Formats: sequence, structure tokens, C-alpha cells
Amino acid sequence: MSQPVHAATPVNVDELEVVDGRAYENLEGWIPELANEADLQNALEKAFDYRGDISLTFKNGETVEAYIFNRQSGKSLADSYVQYFASNALEKRKASYAEIARIEFTGKDRAAGKHWEAWLKKYAEKKAAGETNIALHPEALD
Amino acid sequence: MAVPISQMWTVASYILKKRLSGQKKYPLVLMLEPLFRCNLACAGCGKVQYPPHILKKQLSPEECFHAVEECGVPMVSLPGGEPLLHPQIVEIVNGLVERKKYIYLCTNALELKKRLHEFTPSKYLTFSVHLDGQREHHDMSVCREGGYDIAVEGIKEAVKRGFRVTTNATFFDGTDPNSVRSFFDEVMSMGVEGIVLSPGYSYEKAPDQQHFLGRAKTRRLFRAILSNRKKSWKFNMSPLFLEFLMGKRNYECTAWGSPAYNIFGWQKPCYLLQDGYTDTFQELLDTTNWDEYGTASGNPKCANCMVSCGYEPTAVNAGFGSLSGFFAMAKAAIFSSYKDQGALDLLNNHTTFTAERSHLVKIEGVSLTPQVAQLEETRA
Ligand code: SF4
Repeated sequence: MSQPVHAATPVNVDELEVVDGRAYENLEGWIPELANEADLQNALEKAFDYRGDISLTFKNGETVEAYIFNRQSGKSLADSYVQYFASNALEKRKASYAEIARIEFTGKDRAAGKHWEAWLKKYAEKKAAGETNIALHPEALD
Repeated sequence: MAVPISQMWTVASYILKKRLSGQKKYPLVLMLEPLFRCNLACAGCGKVQYPPHILKKQLSPEECFHAVEECGVPMVSLPGGEPLLHPQIVEIVNGLVERKKYIYLCTNALELKKRLHEFTPSKYLTFSVHLDGQREHHDMSVCREGGYDIAVEGIKEAVKRGFRVTTNATFFDGTDPNSVRSFFDEVMSMGVEGIVLSPGYSYEKAPDQQHFLGRAKTRRLFRAILSNRKKSWKFNMSPLFLEFLMGKRNYECTAWGSPAYNIFGWQKPCYLLQDGYTDTFQELLDTTNWDEYGTASGNPKCANCMVSCGYEPTAVNAGFGSLSGFFAMAKAAIFSSYKDQGALDLLNNHTTFTAERSHLVKIEGVSLTPQVAQLEETRA
């Protein structure tokens, strides 16, 4: 297994006017079917990209709710690993792909749904209602 | 150029030493993110989208010092999140000053005024205040009315107390170059040392995914903004990087020039992309396939990138790495007016930006100030 290699960009980048970002995949609640190694690798790649917690169930029956921040593919499942912060622990942890039995995208996707358009709409509504000091605020952490 | 001579000398001698020792990949600025949480929720930001237990984590001062010593950089940028929310940020800053590192503390300045008394002015410490343009532009950009006024109060107080201060702006699609030039006048009159600017980058995780500048438009925008320059404008950036933004130079990315370290480790390959993490800086250098990044690589994630963390190290290396580069840099610093009729035409003959392309006037019924509503595209 190796990390994905990128295809050559089919456009002349120096002529690009406006660049769209990536389309979101709605993964919240997804429970990937892990029928083979490729399914597992694909699901963990998406989990690495996901800005929410994932529930990982290991083959020994243990389940953790975790934010996956790294993945490294090796030659086999045994020497490929993910690194994560469990939601109830301070230190980084590591698990081999071979230990993982089930993956669930249980956490809220923190990168989804807060569009510029939504902010402008909210802004317009509040302005029309005579509000001042209109702002978006970060979500509470507790 | 607004950078003090002592800082330029430190950077120049650092580069020279690295070159003489035959080292090919060396960092210039560490992007040290002590935490991800922030007191703003900007629509263009892809940095703060994490679950609460991640947002509550932060680097300890010891971890920060270790990262700085590990990679050996002369300059450290402290972005975030909002670094002033870190309860030990003063200890971190003081420790870096003791180590004689030139620090840029990047802040939205919402907390700056009331926290200033905790810091000591030093040639090593600069507050780099995030200000994305004139009042309406900045407030819309950070999704908070009144944000500009609070930040400006912080800037003025910091300048008054003798701190080094720069402003730091990111420009997205729809930016009005005339307004940006007026903004430069405004910030210079606040007494800041210089201006830092960058085109917006297409963060994969940014909530707003439709308004990133492509390279062609970036070069037109910066040509319009930076040509026919006023003498009063000072930039705290490499003059060769500014020429790159204006389309006068072509550079390739030096992603290892501004490595990023945060609670996850060393970020592969750069501050903007996340393709994994390593535990040590050496491992970052050794295990990252650098050929897969940068515009020339064909990697679509890097296609439109002209951001300072990848391309300013290239410009700095070019300026300090050879005699011809040094002369080009000196020339760019001395003859910096860049008289350009085409750029004036871009400013004067603009067409009103269409509603579909302008994120600031997209929603029917939103009536902003005429200045904001009249966005232009800079077509040559
Ligand atoms: S081109 Fe930009 S995004 Fe790509 S590696 Fe360089 S700095 Fe990072």
C-alpha cells in the first residue's frame, strides 16, 4: 500500500480565474461496510479527512470515540496505522489498521454547513430586524 | 521594506550558513500553532473546524520551545486559532524572546488592548494583527460587526506602547483593489511598521468554498493593488514575493520553508495542507514526498496556491542566496513605485462585479455600504 499519487492537473494553473473548493461528502452517520482491505483503507482515509469524531471498534471489543489526525499506510494492514486523540484522554494514541473491526462516523462534521451564504442570510435578517453588532460566534466548547 | 536591519541580518546570515554547510532543505519560519480555538468564526477559515475536545487542547510552553529548537528557525509565527486565548501565551512569547527568535504573534486583536500590559516591547516581538481591509470588508470577512474597530484600538494602543505592529490581510475573490489601497493608507496612518498580505487559499475545510482566487486573477488583483505604489506604504515582506504576486516573477513552492507544528505534531507538507503528521522535524523532512507538492507537481490541492508560507521562503532564499538575487531584492526595495498604466486602468476601468460572483452582495436584500456593494473584477 502507498499514499495516493496525484494525477497531473489537466488545466494551466496560471490561467485559473476562480477556484472552487472541494465538494463536501456528507459522511455524518456513515457506517462503512468493511468487506475487504480496500474498504478499510478507503474508510480510514475518509476518517482522516473528517472533521468530527469517529467511533472505532477494535477486534478485542473495545470502542473509542476519537478524532483521527493521522494515518500512515505501510506494506500490510499490520504495519499501517492511524493516530488519534480519544475524546476522554489527553495523550495521542496509535492503532494498527489490522486491529480495527468497525468504523462509525458518529461525531458531528465540524467543517460542514456554515456557508458564507448562510452568514449573509442571517446578517440580512438581523439587520432588517434592527439588530446591531451582528456576529457569528464560535460554538461553546462544553 | 519595513523589516529592521537586525532581523534582515539574522535571516541573511542564517541562510548563508545553511548554504555553506550544503543543506538544501532548511526552514525559515516556524508556523507554531499553540492551539486551534478562536474567538471568531470566520467563513473563510479552515483552521478551527475541530471537535470540542481538540479545541480545548494546547501546546505547553516546553513543547513550543522544543519545536523551535528542533527545527532551528530564526523566525517564529504564532498563528492559531487565537494565540491570545492560550493561558500561557506570555510565557511562550517570553521564552522565545529569550531564545532571540523573531516572533510574529498573529492575532485578531479582540483581546489585544486589554492584554498588552502583560507583554514587554522587544525588537523580537511583533503583533501581526489580522485586518482584512477597510471596516466593512474586515467585519464581513470575520463575520463580526465591530471587529475592525476593536482591532484598530488594539493596534493603536500597541503602537503607543512601543510594540512592533504589522497588519496581516488575506484577500479573497471579489476584493476591491481601490478599497485595499485606501486601506493601506489607513493602516500606515495608524503607525504600524508594515503591511503583510496574502491571497486566500482554498482550505478544504473552510465553510466558504466558492470564493478562492485563481492564479490569473490573483496576479491581476495584486498588480492593481501593488503597482503605482505610494512611498508611505511599507511592507513587512520580501519585495521579491510581492513581485511574484504581481506576476513579475515565477517561483516554485518551498513548503519546508515554513513548517507547521501543532498539537498533532509536524504537519505534512505545510501549514495549509494536511496530509498527515510526523513526530519529529527530521522525520517531516525525510518522509514527506516533496515532489508531490507545489504548483509544478500537478497536485490539484496546490494548483492555485500563491500563499506566503510556500512562496515567500522561495523569494527570501532567492534574495539572500546569490548576488544576483540580492541585487534584484535591493532594486525591488529601492525602486518600489512600479509605475504601470495598465494597472491604473485596472483600477479605473473596473466593471461592477456581478451578483453571482460577489460573495458580499450575493443575497438579495442585503444592502451594504456603496463601497462594499461595488465590488470589481480586475480585468486587464
Ligand atoms: S503549493 Fe501551497 S498548499 Fe501546496 S505545498 Fe506549497 S504552500 Fe502548501
